[in-house]
Amino acid sequence: MVTNDVSFVEIETLRSREFLPAAKEALGSMIKEQGESKLIRPVFNWAGRNSLFPLHWGLACCAIEFAAAFGARWDAERFGVVPRSSPRQCDLLIVNGTVTWKVAHKLIALYEQMPEPKWVIAMGNCATGGGPFRTAYSVVPGVDKLVPVDVYIAGCPPRPEALLDGILRLEALIRERGA
Amino acid sequence: MSEMWVNMGPQHPMTHGLWNLRVRIDGEMIVEVDPEMGYLHRGIEKISEDRHYNEVITLMDRTCYVAGMAWEHLYVMGAEKALGIVPPERAEWIRMLSEEFQRLASHIMWYAAFVQDLGLMSPFLYGMRDRDLILDLFQSYTGGRLTYEYMRVGGVRNDLPEGFPAQARQVLDWLEPRLVEYDRLCMGSEIFRRRCDGLGVLKANDCVRLGVTGPMLRSAGSKRDIRKDRPYSRYSQVEFDVATADSSDVTGRYLVRMEEMRQSIRILRQALDWLEHHPGPVLADRLPRWLGAPYAPMGREGYLLKRNYPKGVGLSAIEEPHGEACAYVVNEGGEHPYRVKFRSPVFANLSACSHYLVGYHIADIPPIMGSVDVCVGEVDR
Amino acid sequence: MEWNAEGVRAQLAAAGAPGILSVDPFDGAAARVRFSPESASALFPVLRDALGFTHLSTVGGIDWVERYEVFYLLWSDAAKRYLLLSADLDAKTPHIETASTVWPSANWHEREAWELVGIGFDHHPDLRHLLMPDGYSFHPLQRSFKLHEPEDLEVKVRHV
Repeated sequence: MVTNDVSFVEIETLRSREFLPAAKEALGSMIKEQGESKLIRPVFNWAGRNSLFPLHWGLACCAIEFAAAFGARWDAERFGVVPRSSPRQCDLLIVNGTVTWKVAHKLIALYEQMPEPKWVIAMGNCATGGGPFRTAYSVVPGVDKLVPVDVYIAGCPPRPEALLDGILRLEALIRERGA
Repeated sequence: MSEMWVNMGPQHPMTHGLWNLRVRIDGEMIVEVDPEMGYLHRGIEKISEDRHYNEVITLMDRTCYVAGMAWEHLYVMGAEKALGIVPPERAEWIRMLSEEFQRLASHIMWYAAFVQDLGLMSPFLYGMRDRDLILDLFQSYTGGRLTYEYMRVGGVRNDLPEGFPAQARQVLDWLEPRLVEYDRLCMGSEIFRRRCDGLGVLKANDCVRLGVTGPMLRSAGSKRDIRKDRPYSRYSQVEFDVATADSSDVTGRYLVRMEEMRQSIRILRQALDWLEHHPGPVLADRLPRWLGAPYAPMGREGYLLKRNYPKGVGLSAIEEPHGEACAYVVNEGGEHPYRVKFRSPVFANLSACSHYLVGYHIADIPPIMGSVDVCVGEVDR
Repeated sequence: MEWNAEGVRAQLAAAGAPGILSVDPFDGAAARVRFSPESASALFPVLRDALGFTHLSTVGGIDWVERYEVFYLLWSDAAKRYLLLSADLDAKTPHIETASTVWPSANWHEREAWELVGIGFDHHPDLRHLLMPDGYSFHPLQRSFKLHEPEDLEVKVRHV
């Protein structure tokens, strides 16, 4: 747990052409003040939370809304969210659909293949608690029985706006908790 | 080098869902395939036995999440036959309209995902943009984008909003030139043609033998279309042609789906004309209370008045965007269906996959499986 | 040629179809044909070749507690009609001859019916689990299989 005592708020509000000089100056002054160990964590945190790479994995209905969020209208990539097909390149697992017992161990394997630090979003009612299939014999009643979940998104399925909101909340969470 | 087994799935960009294609390859050639299904088996047929008739509609949207309206239509027709209820005329037209809009949305979704697999990125963005316009129309009269819960046993939940036909025509006017643009992007692309022509060939007699239906069968020259052969809803009162191709390969399936979209627009225009001039009720009257009220039946309170309905069995079949879908609803009296059995077209199309994959290269799997339009929700149910 | 119950009955008699118990009218299909399960392997080729039902839509099973029912939905391109076939199987060891030698499309449908309803299909080329994991020993669509509330489940949380 590292508290984010170094202020990076001003960097975020900069225009792109002002970014490099400002960052250079801020980094230079901080290295002088604090030394490297205190510095690397916040930079890591800042970079990590603004470039979350979710795993490109469609489970069920929510995967269609997941795809719509990357379509032309919502364009989730403007938040630095780029789906990757390999778990080795990901730090975010969006569980977008019903998890069955048959797929449970594959989901855990994929989660364990992802490098640290990593986060999980349970998208939709099925991933949160089983949803309309809660009583079914083959459905895991909530993915938090299998992997630790950071953000839950309600909805069946959630609209793409809700997914984007969930991602932004996760960014706020990472900023708070540290990577 | 000796032969080896390769797992493609359950997490693979090719699968478009949750299934595992096990492929035995000899170098680059596919020798044997063994699809492994069931990763999304949610027991919908079992849960339906525990639900009231109208509550099953909720599950139908999620059975095939790219064609929710079509599956709702399939189920309510089966349940109406089992219960002996006749929906009003206007409801039938609204259902047909919804199903055709769903066909458009589903085919555009297929186009976006399929062409992206071939490495063309812009069709995905164009496709998702145009599909959202149709989803906006759905939202204006059902409130939902993917899962609608709109149809009811005995009609539909509510009438179309005021000004809907004009709005819908605007969307159709926008879509029609877009289809030409889609065609130019694909059929004019050397990459697309080289990756699709002559792949995944399945001839018509093999299709019939293996139970393959839908655009895959029609791309082999067959004219089987449940909408024409066994007209349901009001399909006998609208004019349209059955889209066919004769190459029976990936390009043929693409051409059939493109032509089907044009025919859907043609049907939609006729349906909108009819709906504009024929107001009326959209829910059958004199239904039992647990089926009748438009909003209440989703809760338990509406069901307190339990009736013993005459027993019956309902069979319905529709031409879903993926092919022939059937529902078999057994009513043993009482408020729950005794047994609901669904026939999913993708289930049958996938079961034949060893016949159209073996002998091609491993790099041909994404275009071939893309042209099947796999929706795992309805395969596993 | 009339594609109603009488027409189907006459055609079945003309083709010498074995084991027909009854032919009833059915809304939405040409007829509903009940047959005795022992004659399945002789009846299926007659339906396909003599009556022209070349396409098998689906195979399903129903658990009626005191007996099982297996039903087949056939489609004829020439008649443009469905035909519903059904047979009653005994409750102890429900089994019937496979249809996949006549209609290869029955392969997966029968695997599903075996897995979910528990009906055995003799001489099936590949009768193994399709939807549930290997080794799953229940047949969920039997009436004795009750749905549970997930609170009853003891979930072993794996710490990762």
